Amino acid sequence: MNNALKNALLNRLIGMADDELILSHRNAEWTGHAPLLEEDIALANLAQDELGHATVLLGLVEELNGKTPDQMAYFRDAAEFRNVQFLELPKGDWAFTMLRQYLFDAYETILYNRLLTSSYQPLADVVAKFRGEEIYHLRHSHMWVERLGLGTDESLGRLQAALDQMWPLTAQLFQVSEADNLLSEEGVFPLAADMADEWQEIVLPHLANCSLHVPTHATMLLAGRETHTHFLNDLLTDMQQVARWDPSAEW
Amino acid sequence: MARWEVFKKDNARKPYQAVGSVHAVDPEHALHNAKNVFVRRPAAVSLWVAPAAAIFSRSAEELENQPLDPTANGHEQRYLVFRKASNRRSMTFMDHIGETSAPNGESALAQAIDQFDDKPGLAWWVIPAEAITASEEDVAEAWFAPAATKTYKQQSQYGFVSKLREGRKGAVTSDE
Amino acid sequence: MTEEQKTAEFEERIGRDEKIEPGDWMPEKYRKQLIRMISQHAHSEVIGMLPEGKWIPHAPSLRRKMILIAKVQDEAGHGQYLYHAAETLGVTREELYQAFLDGRAKYSSIFNYPSLSWADVGMIGWLVDGAAIKNQTMLAQCSYGPYSRAMVRICAEETFHHKQGKEMVLKYAAGTAKQRDMVQDALNRYWWPSLMMLGPHDSESTNTPQLVKWGVKTKTNDEVRQEFIAETAPELIASGLTIPDPDLHQDEDGVWHHGPIDWDEFWNVVKGNGPCNAERLGMRQDAHDNGQWVRDALEAYSEKKYGAAAFA
Repeated sequence: MNNALKNALLNRLIGMADDELILSHRNAEWTGHAPLLEEDIALANLAQDELGHATVLLGLVEELNGKTPDQMAYFRDAAEFRNVQFLELPKGDWAFTMLRQYLFDAYETILYNRLLTSSYQPLADVVAKFRGEEIYHLRHSHMWVERLGLGTDESLGRLQAALDQMWPLTAQLFQVSEADNLLSEEGVFPLAADMADEWQEIVLPHLANCSLHVPTHATMLLAGRETHTHFLNDLLTDMQQVARWDPSAEW
Repeated sequence: MARWEVFKKDNARKPYQAVGSVHAVDPEHALHNAKNVFVRRPAAVSLWVAPAAAIFSRSAEELENQPLDPTANGHEQRYLVFRKASNRRSMTFMDHIGETSAPNGESALAQAIDQFDDKPGLAWWVIPAEAITASEEDVAEAWFAPAATKTYKQQSQYGFVSKLREGRKGAVTSDE
Repeated sequence: MTEEQKTAEFEERIGRDEKIEPGDWMPEKYRKQLIRMISQHAHSEVIGMLPEGKWIPHAPSLRRKMILIAKVQDEAGHGQYLYHAAETLGVTREELYQAFLDGRAKYSSIFNYPSLSWADVGMIGWLVDGAAIKNQTMLAQCSYGPYSRAMVRICAEETFHHKQGKEMVLKYAAGTAKQRDMVQDALNRYWWPSLMMLGPHDSESTNTPQLVKWGVKTKTNDEVRQEFIAETAPELIASGLTIPDPDLHQDEDGVWHHGPIDWDEFWNVVKGNGPCNAERLGMRQDAHDNGQWVRDALEAYSEKKYGAAAFA
């Protein structure tokens, strides 16, 4: 693999891993605070699955850049993270958490499906193992969006507010850099922009069935994955404090 | 919030077994909760949920003190039969042992007791088949297989601790 | 049959190692004691999510984070199993939970102590879960079927909690200077509360004799405490840590003797005046209040789709 291709792949793998790592962190924040005891358990399941995926993906990163998964997670600053912004926002209320999960699960399901045939075999192999969990996640968040959308006026109002806030940010999932074209040509990683239509075909009908209106005049976020809100910095301060308190220690 | 009894089938050879209950508002919600609560660890290949309110339940002692009075009221339907047949230490309550057809729960149980007389029942449930919702077969892999990969939840992953213990004379261990 | 005859028959059943199942006759006092014990136990699991859950965002490695999420998740699961067991005695989870939020129900005193450092997570796993497992192993033999089954399931899962904590403590005891200081500090704070959580001395424990007779408990508090010290103390000492009890020693017969337990502190915490009682209950109250609209939405959805009280 030439250097340009390798760097492009590394960038994409880090993006995938960071998406999972950051969302896992947010979901784990519900443990002990969910609206129903059964959902404390459900969110902890999501968080574990996502953390597991992040760890495996960072393992692929290590093969390319030599940095361990813990080094990547605990000793990078916010500017070096490559997750999309809507995953780093605070967990918000239950409507925000479930809608975010749904929109992201739909995206990941498509991404994983495409990566099953990646020409980079290590990636195709790990994604095959993630797929079952992802199918389940989508079922779970799909169920919740339906119940909140078709529940009470309050639950619909909260869900709509979450959609209004989040929708413009979802565009970031489908941003393409020049290097991505290279990955796509080599069959390593699908072009994110190519997945947008499929994603909309999944989410738009469900959102409509759940009485939600997709904002029509929103300004979509077109920034790359290297840009972040201050919330990521806050999150990393929480996440990295013990590891950085004694960097020489094995934990 | 309604209570749903959960039945888990561990593998192809095992019956569905009553493992506990979840709170939920509808069958799909109940199945998700059942999966999240009872399949945090392996193993499962399928789940059933049934509203607790739909269950006709009798313990052996109740049956002795208040004999069943089967009547023909109601419409004939399928009932699934569950029985507890042993006092041995267990994490499951009833096993699914078969089905019968009857116009109501009381009649279904009376028939079931005649029909399944291989072992004495210590406690019985009969549940209308239509009250039971099963996890879908085509998603079984996605729902149940991943639990097996969560090895960090298994105490064997921390095995060196036990070895350390064995080296200490006279130490009593509660880990087994 | 008179109440006395029924009770005699009931006690004979327990004597024959039969399990009492939902629907069976039981003395009212047995039912009440079980509801009290099981619900306190359930509340303890639920509140027990908080001291460790607080550290999930700060877990210093991906592996530790994964383990801790799974462990705190298990606590929610164990609370869930236990509420189920209590519900078979004719009470609802909602009413039990309300009594807990209102401060009318007790829960294990240990969870009213603060978790001040990451090492507390290890110490809670080794000592607190270690002590809890002693009780739980005993309760798995309990005469009431649903409680026994919940405990069998919990014990099977809980052993991992104990071991991961012990692994962490031993590693840090042999780790960097900062890690050693941190884990010693955690031991200093958790040793006495762990001994206390096994309950008052037998001479002060009013419920124990009846509970032993009815096969709910099979050992007294002091017997369990002795076992706990015998298992834990030698390994803590061997790891180079110092147990904060200068009087702790083993006599020639192998029996451990500890210094006097500060029971005033214990009762004070049990009565709700511990360092974190208000904070912990407040957090659960917030979660409950913030979740009300979610539970309302679920009920409304179900009612629209399936009709009112379709599954009640």
